[in-house]
Amino acid sequence: MQASVHPQHLASRPERQGKEVVLSSIQKSYGTAVALPDLSLVVARGEFCTLLGASGSGKTTLLKIIAGFEAPDAGSVSIAGKDVTRTSIADRNIGMVFQNYALFPHMSVFDNVSFALRMRRLNRDDIKRRVNEALALVSMEQLRERLPRELSGGQQQRVALARALVFRPDILLMDEPLGALDKNLRQAIQLQLKKLHHDLGLTVIFVTHDQDEAMNLSDRIVIVDQGRIIQAGAPEALYRAPQSAFVAGFLGECNFIEQAPGQVLGIRPESVRVGTQLSAADMHHEGRVVTSTFCGLHWKIFIEALGRTIVAYAPAGTDGADRTPGQSVAWGFRSEDAMAFSAP
Amino acid sequence: MTDNALPRPSHAAGQTQWNRNRMALLAALPLLLFLLLFFVGPIGGLLKEGFYRDGTLSLEHFRHLAVTPIYRIVLGNTFTIAAAVTLSCVLMSYPLAYLLATVRPAVARVLFFAVLLPFWSSALVRTSAWIALLGKNGPVNALLTGIGIIDQPMAFLYNFTGVMIGMTHVLMPFVVLPLYASFRAMDNALVQAAQSLGADSAGILRHVVLPLTSPGVVAGAIIVFMNAVGYYITPALMGGPAQRMAAELISYNITEELNWGLAAALAGVLLVTVLLSLWLFNRLFGLDKLISGSAGKGSNTLPAGRTPGGRLSVLAGAVSALFLVLPILIVIPMSFGTSDFPMFPPPHYGLRWYASFFADSKWLAALWSSLRVGLMVTLCASVLGTAAALGVHKMPSARKGWLDALFIIPMSVPAIITAVALFYLMAPLGWVANSVAVTIGHTVLASPYVYITVRAALRSFDPSLELAALSLGASWPSMFRLVILPLLLPSLIGGAVFAFVTSFDDVVMALFLTTIHNRTLPKLMYEGLANDFDPTVISASCLLIVATAVILVANLLLGRKKES
Repeated sequence: MQASVHPQHLASRPERQGKEVVLSSIQKSYGTAVALPDLSLVVARGEFCTLLGASGSGKTTLLKIIAGFEAPDAGSVSIAGKDVTRTSIADRNIGMVFQNYALFPHMSVFDNVSFALRMRRLNRDDIKRRVNEALALVSMEQLRERLPRELSGGQQQRVALARALVFRPDILLMDEPLGALDKNLRQAIQLQLKKLHHDLGLTVIFVTHDQDEAMNLSDRIVIVDQGRIIQAGAPEALYRAPQSAFVAGFLGECNFIEQAPGQVLGIRPESVRVGTQLSAADMHHEGRVVTSTFCGLHWKIFIEALGRTIVAYAPAGTDGADRTPGQSVAWGFRSEDAMAFSAP
Repeated sequence: MTDNALPRPSHAAGQTQWNRNRMALLAALPLLLFLLLFFVGPIGGLLKEGFYRDGTLSLEHFRHLAVTPIYRIVLGNTFTIAAAVTLSCVLMSYPLAYLLATVRPAVARVLFFAVLLPFWSSALVRTSAWIALLGKNGPVNALLTGIGIIDQPMAFLYNFTGVMIGMTHVLMPFVVLPLYASFRAMDNALVQAAQSLGADSAGILRHVVLPLTSPGVVAGAIIVFMNAVGYYITPALMGGPAQRMAAELISYNITEELNWGLAAALAGVLLVTVLLSLWLFNRLFGLDKLISGSAGKGSNTLPAGRTPGGRLSVLAGAVSALFLVLPILIVIPMSFGTSDFPMFPPPHYGLRWYASFFADSKWLAALWSSLRVGLMVTLCASVLGTAAALGVHKMPSARKGWLDALFIIPMSVPAIITAVALFYLMAPLGWVANSVAVTIGHTVLASPYVYITVRAALRSFDPSLELAALSLGASWPSMFRLVILPLLLPSLIGGAVFAFVTSFDDVVMALFLTTIHNRTLPKLMYEGLANDFDPTVISASCLLIVATAVILVANLLLGRKKES
């Protein structure tokens, strides 16, 4: 099951295949419902860019507009400097991996992957060579005669990827492609996807609602809510310096403590210090341990304080007294670890 | 993967949204026009006759229906018989559906065949089998007098009993099939749970089985009632004068009395009843239910053991299954008899009646006529129905509801009404004599079946397959040819088979829309039954049963191949 990229492709990194994508002032409404009020975004050449948002946030609409399945009401889409807003799907040269893979159920793996090449009327030898290359890229050469229903979910995923890559697209679009897979498989494919992205220099636009997936894969995460970009940046930057309580709560866990009216402090669980870890300079609070769970790397302690439940990650060696349910416990944080937000 | 430039797909730019909407409308238009021209228009014209008397607008015909005893009795009969048939269908279907849903798959397949064979074979074939079985000298009476239960042969035919037996037999599958789906969707663990909580058989039936299966049974009952109200053949052949129903009276008023106004008023009453039933069905379940065939499946674990009530139901279910399949099984040996009237078991076996079928040119001519019309109808209905299904599928949802309703209604409206309306329109044009009329009539009747099957297939069709093909560079026509059509083909074939069988089995349309020169096989059989009994009808029936069985088995095998 563990799939690895063929070694020969690791050696040399070819010139970047990907192209730049520019979205300017995209607007889209369905009847009276406004999906995208006014959105602009630049995805750089070779970038792995993830659109992260809850369902209904507009991220899938945006993807459909980039792919050309839907036309924007206003605004433009350009790929490599060329305006493609009115260009048909087929002529945009975009590879797409669908949420449910959308493999043609009546065609073998080979026929699925060769579809785009047949549409481009390549000769038979070229088709064979390119399909084999694409299948080798995802380690699926052995199963080329199978029908999609004879494949496992992870194998179907890889065929869908090969099908989207075989015709050398300018951009690869992926719509929640890992949603249907179990956790272990998902991690294996994430790794493979990252490698492929690195080796081929693709521009990837990836849609997901799973923040871990976004963190694992992306060069840049774009957080979308109600059709607007809330914040965009590298995973680490977003995690360490979220501009709003929404982003802090959406990407990773965060405790919110109300300060003055209209002001909240956000503290990451790993910044919360419990009992003996507290030093004199820290902000101090009192609370009661509700329960605690051992997570391997750390203890996760739930503390009732300030009318809410505070989550703290305490070191694995934390003293028993600081994590026994029912115990009163002192907790706090360094003031520089607290992030100040205006209340949502 | 080193070289970069690949040729772009070799076709012009794709279609805009606007263009696609227009294409959708264009695809649905042929069937729409066809139905307006040959269904809505003629029926409207016929109904108008009901409101005119001597050229002036009046309700005289409806008043006549309400005050004349014979019409009041017939309308009363119609609704009483329809209700009684509905009830008996429900009662007999329950144990059978339970049995179907709870036996091993191999046994279920055999039972299914027993349900589907009569369902697919013509109503006329089944009616003629019953007439042969239940006659004064028929095998049932012979058996009963033989073992001494009764002294004199009992009158099963030409009375209420006859109509009930015949119509229940014809219409029962409409309840069995949805009810079976309800039983399958029901989790068998629920019965075990109820048992573990202390419920007895009656309690399980009342508190678990009935509430969970009632949607299926109500759906089936509405369909049966809707069909029964407009029934013509079975009551006409198996009932007596006291069991006349509205459809027969429509026919009588047109062929004997030439009173179009009264016939139109009667047709109006029937049509309103049917449309009300359909409306009720739509309110309760949505016409969607007619379109999307089978329901979801619950846990398919077989019950560990049956309750005493369950064992009783199994017995009753077996009796129901026997009731469905027995006439068809008995009529086959009877057809190989040599006596002047059918007997079971026949004293001598021979091919006398098959010989008479193949020797008499009128039977072969009728068979040929049926085949010709059937193939023509299959072609027309498949093209019209498939195009319309594709069109409606692609339409913005606001228009869909109306078109779905319009495209489904023709199969629910009693055939007698459509037949009479088309006769009224086409007899003056001379289309009755040259088979155009009957082909059009059957196409009206058969297109909904193609429409429904293809539409159901399109609904389960994953729209991202289409997007995937387009994103990989396919033009719309090549996407249709390479992706949609191959995936739609099994349903298309299924719909076409339905269309053919619909045409090949129909009697009512043929009675009005063909002449002695181009009559179809069912019409000739009807004449053979209605006037004086010609045993060739029995051999003709058996030939049709064999043909049906072959089609059914082929379709089942095709379906299984698709699944594997």
